[in-house]
Amino acid sequence: MLATYLQYWRINFLTFLEYRANFVMWFVFTIVYHATAIAALFVTMRQFPTMNTWDFRQMLFLYALWMMGHEIHNAFFFNVINVPEFVREGRFDRFLVRPLDALFQVLTVPQQLFPDGLILAAITLTVATKIAGVTVDARYLIFVPLIAIGGALIDFGISLAIAAVSFWFIRVDTLRWVVISLEQDFTRYPISIYSRGVQVVLAFVLPFAFMNYFPATYFLQKADPGLHLNPSVGLLTPLVGLAWFGIAYVIWRIGVQHYQGTGS
Amino acid sequence: MLSAVPYVEFAKKAFAREATYRMEVFTEVASLVLRVYLLRCLWTALYAQNAAPLNLPLHSMITYATIALLMSLILEVDGTRLIREKIRDGSIATDLMKPISVPLYFFSDGFGNTVLHAVLVIPSLLFALLLVHIDIPPPTTLAIFALSFAIGYFVNFFLNFVMNSIAFWTLETFAVQLIVRWVSDLLSGQIIPLTFVPGIFGRIVFALPFAAIYSTPLLIYVGIIPPSQWMNALIAQVLWLAGFGAISYVVWRAASRHVVVQGG
Repeated sequence: MLATYLQYWRINFLTFLEYRANFVMWFVFTIVYHATAIAALFVTMRQFPTMNTWDFRQMLFLYALWMMGHEIHNAFFFNVINVPEFVREGRFDRFLVRPLDALFQVLTVPQQLFPDGLILAAITLTVATKIAGVTVDARYLIFVPLIAIGGALIDFGISLAIAAVSFWFIRVDTLRWVVISLEQDFTRYPISIYSRGVQVVLAFVLPFAFMNYFPATYFLQKADPGLHLNPSVGLLTPLVGLAWFGIAYVIWRIGVQHYQGTGS
Repeated sequence: MLSAVPYVEFAKKAFAREATYRMEVFTEVASLVLRVYLLRCLWTALYAQNAAPLNLPLHSMITYATIALLMSLILEVDGTRLIREKIRDGSIATDLMKPISVPLYFFSDGFGNTVLHAVLVIPSLLFALLLVHIDIPPPTTLAIFALSFAIGYFVNFFLNFVMNSIAFWTLETFAVQLIVRWVSDLLSGQIIPLTFVPGIFGRIVFALPFAAIYSTPLLIYVGIIPPSQWMNALIAQVLWLAGFGAISYVVWRAASRHVVVQGG
């Protein structure tokens, strides 16, 4: 009897440890993921101190803005990447028969909710703001959170659009990974280094530039030699995020209709 | 003794299996092309506004970065992913009972996967050549580069093997693997040439095994490692190969005695 009880305790303890260890490991990964990007940036800028008038400190601020939006998305909207798996395993139908919006249900599936990445992003942004010499006035305090949320919505739009694609093509894991990976790479640098066509795409088609570049040019008071837009356009990020999310939501609805129609 | 026939079949099966993922194949090539575009913009801008490093003019840097990307097509394939998956679903236990060499099975599976990606290098290279100019070194250099790349491939294989075999003990290793992958990408010279890393850190990174995977072959290719140094560079790689090969052997022996099947 006692032996059995001890076995149960041992298993519970090991399970707890494993979840704990698992959580720590993923937290370490988040740190490594961002730290390697920043380290690469640092080493590069040490060798080449200026990039289209941007120095390392300003690039760090640029990265931190992107990181903020990205991590807010990961904290609240991450579940949407599970949709392809739900569809594949036939579990998605459960959400459709209930009276609540399917997307809302997907997002609220019980899961680990400690926002470690978010805290990391907040710390990075604070440090970057200080180092880049950005003034923290009322405008900063009001707009930066809004911009971060706008950034999260832009990311969410991407995740949602790709999740919708899974209603047609079952396997989208690589696609999603590639898109996010490209997003991280292309937003790392001021978009003025790209050709005009690409700048237009990044500003108006896949609005990654609104996640960090335009807000950064505003707060760092830099000119944008590429598209010659008014610097204040950086403050429009929340609206751009909403608009982009709106479009993605339409695609999502079309996908759901299609899924229901084909009776998979 | 050991017949090669079953292992050739495993490799062929892996090739066919991976080739059915058309979407993934397309996204990998497309993503590579986009990255080549990015690196061209990046390095062109940096070299235009800063002093060039002594032994690495712009065309060499672009060559370095492009070849690094093409190499990653082949090296980033996780040849030993199968191990982790089979431990997860328990089929490793039955595999160990079959009259085949399980490590060799994993190697041929990974190799088949790798050959598919090697084939992808061709269209990727063609697309890349549309965007950038790649230096072609003299034939002997090219030959030594190929040799160095092959050795690096095996170092990478054994590194992955050890990482994946840890799954025998801790079961949840995906995060750890990603951490190692990210850190090794940075420290291997795939993202930035290790020659940019300053001072003591520079000496450290060159002493690590990761440099044997990307940096050594790449530096041979662009001529930073001159013919007089080839022998030393190759020997260093081979030492890492032997080292990780030995560790892999030890880990495998310990692991196959410790099969813990993760129940459903």
